[in-house]
Amino acid sequence: MLRHSGSAHRGLGEWLVQRVSALYLAAFTVWLTLRLILGWPTDYAAWRAWLGGGSVRLAFGMFFLSVALHAWVGMRSVFLDYLKPAWLRFTLQVLTAGGLLALLLWAAEILLIEARP
Amino acid sequence: MAENNKKRPVHLDLLHIRLPVGGVVSILHRVTGVALVLSLPAAIYLLRESLLDPEGYGRVSALLQSLPMRILLYLLLLAVGHHFFAGIRHLLLDLDIGISRSGSRRGAWLVLAAVAMITVSGLFVIW
Repeated sequence: MLRHSGSAHRGLGEWLVQRVSALYLAAFTVWLTLRLILGWPTDYAAWRAWLGGGSVRLAFGMFFLSVALHAWVGMRSVFLDYLKPAWLRFTLQVLTAGGLLALLLWAAEILLIEARP
Repeated sequence: MAENNKKRPVHLDLLHIRLPVGGVVSILHRVTGVALVLSLPAAIYLLRESLLDPEGYGRVSALLQSLPMRILLYLLLLAVGHHFFAGIRHLLLDLDIGISRSGSRRGAWLVLAAVAMITVSGLFVIW
């Protein structure tokens, strides 16, 4: 078996992470769209009350986690497929990983502190 | 086998490839994915602002209703829509659904049709 083929899609782990996170993101998108159509909070109090709910915050937390993982696998595929120089790939991958991790921590802070009822 | 492997295009020259419809859907899936990742910081920032206090909520609300932001939100809607439907197509391809040459082409056209529907109906939602 070829292990280092240079393909962007190596590794069962990444493949699985991409698919599982995709399923959650799709479900979340449908849920949020329905929410948007069936009744979106329209003032500050209602917005806070809605986003303060435990299950809503959990749903958003899992959304941000899924986005970070999904974005990591996706961006990595893009870098590996279109960028040739190893140093450029490496630099962009490090920046992407750091950026996504920072965004994830920021989102977690917002959901745990700012969104608390 | 080894010879073949050496010749395969690892570094794809985007300007010299003529894409079939499946390829168009696939490349748009990547373009929209990168665009959505780039929109994340602004989205999280606006989420935070909107939660801080009523003034912040008002600022975000007014900003999102301004014309440039509505156009940006519309483009974001198209990106999410395309990424969503093209993503579902990829998941179905994993399950060997629509994997045949004609089925794959039909699936790609279905994705583009769904995006076209969002493109039109989205105009009414945004306005």
